[in-house]
Amino acid sequence: MAEFECRLKKYRLLKDLTQEQLAAQVGVRRETIMRLEKAQYNPSLKLAIDISRAVEAPIEEIFIFD
Amino acid sequence: MKKNKTKIWVGCGIFCIAAVLLSVWYAATFNDSRLVVPMDFGSYAFTPKDLPMILSITLACGYAIALFVLLFVRAGKSRRKVAQTNITRKINPKLGFLGLLGFFGLTGFWTYSTIGAVFPFAFFLFFGFFGFFYEGRMSGTFMDERFRENAARAQLNSYKITFVITLAVLIVLCQGKLFSSLEYTLIAAVIALSLTLALGLFLPEYLLYRYDHDDQMDEGEE
Repeated sequence: MAEFECRLKKYRLLKDLTQEQLAAQVGVRRETIMRLEKAQYNPSLKLAIDISRAVEAPIEEIFIFD
Repeated sequence: MKKNKTKIWVGCGIFCIAAVLLSVWYAATFNDSRLVVPMDFGSYAFTPKDLPMILSITLACGYAIALFVLLFVRAGKSRRKVAQTNITRKINPKLGFLGLLGFFGLTGFWTYSTIGAVFPFAFFLFFGFFGFFYEGRMSGTFMDERFRENAARAQLNSYKITFVITLAVLIVLCQGKLFSSLEYTLIAAVIALSLTLALGLFLPEYLLYRYDHDDQMDEGEE
């Protein structure tokens, strides 16, 4: 899996969303959001776009690949 | 299936078994065990006393075919429902106990030594039903992209493991005859293939459960 840094938690808290709420918005399980925040799961492009729209932040600022 | 329908099907099954047992008793007592013990059907001539056996066997066969069709239709419906809802099918983990049926495979050693039949070894396949323990625990889970990815990974890994085992067993068996007997070699091949296929049924469910739950071992809400 590609190494990356994920700043999802920061943007999610800025939007005052729980993992559960964000998961429901983007159509995944809470566990998936949790793995994403720990940068232990590489999301599909669609999920990354959905998350970026949900937290209203650019993809490249949420997922940072070296 | 509704409980009432299940009761009707179970009731019909019990009725069919009772009808067969009763007609066997009738044939053994009043009809010289015709159609019960092996007989030469080339010279078979119908007698009215054969009717109970013929009717009960027809009924039992009809029931078995209807049950098979019902299960086939239900499996199709369940698959369509899973595709529509994106939620894994509901299965009781206790169904995993059906895996114990695999021990019936051991009867193959007895049937081979008494009547030369090797097909009971295929019952080892039922060991694969132990996978229901894990499928049951994952039932009703929403199948998001990570779940599907894990499912594909589990399936691929189980294919890899079962193919490697199958190949290794076949190479070993093909090196030479087991106990200097081609027959024993083929029986060993049947047993090994049955067990490997059972592993192929069990592993995808087990690995999917592990992948999904190992991920959650260190989880914590924010």
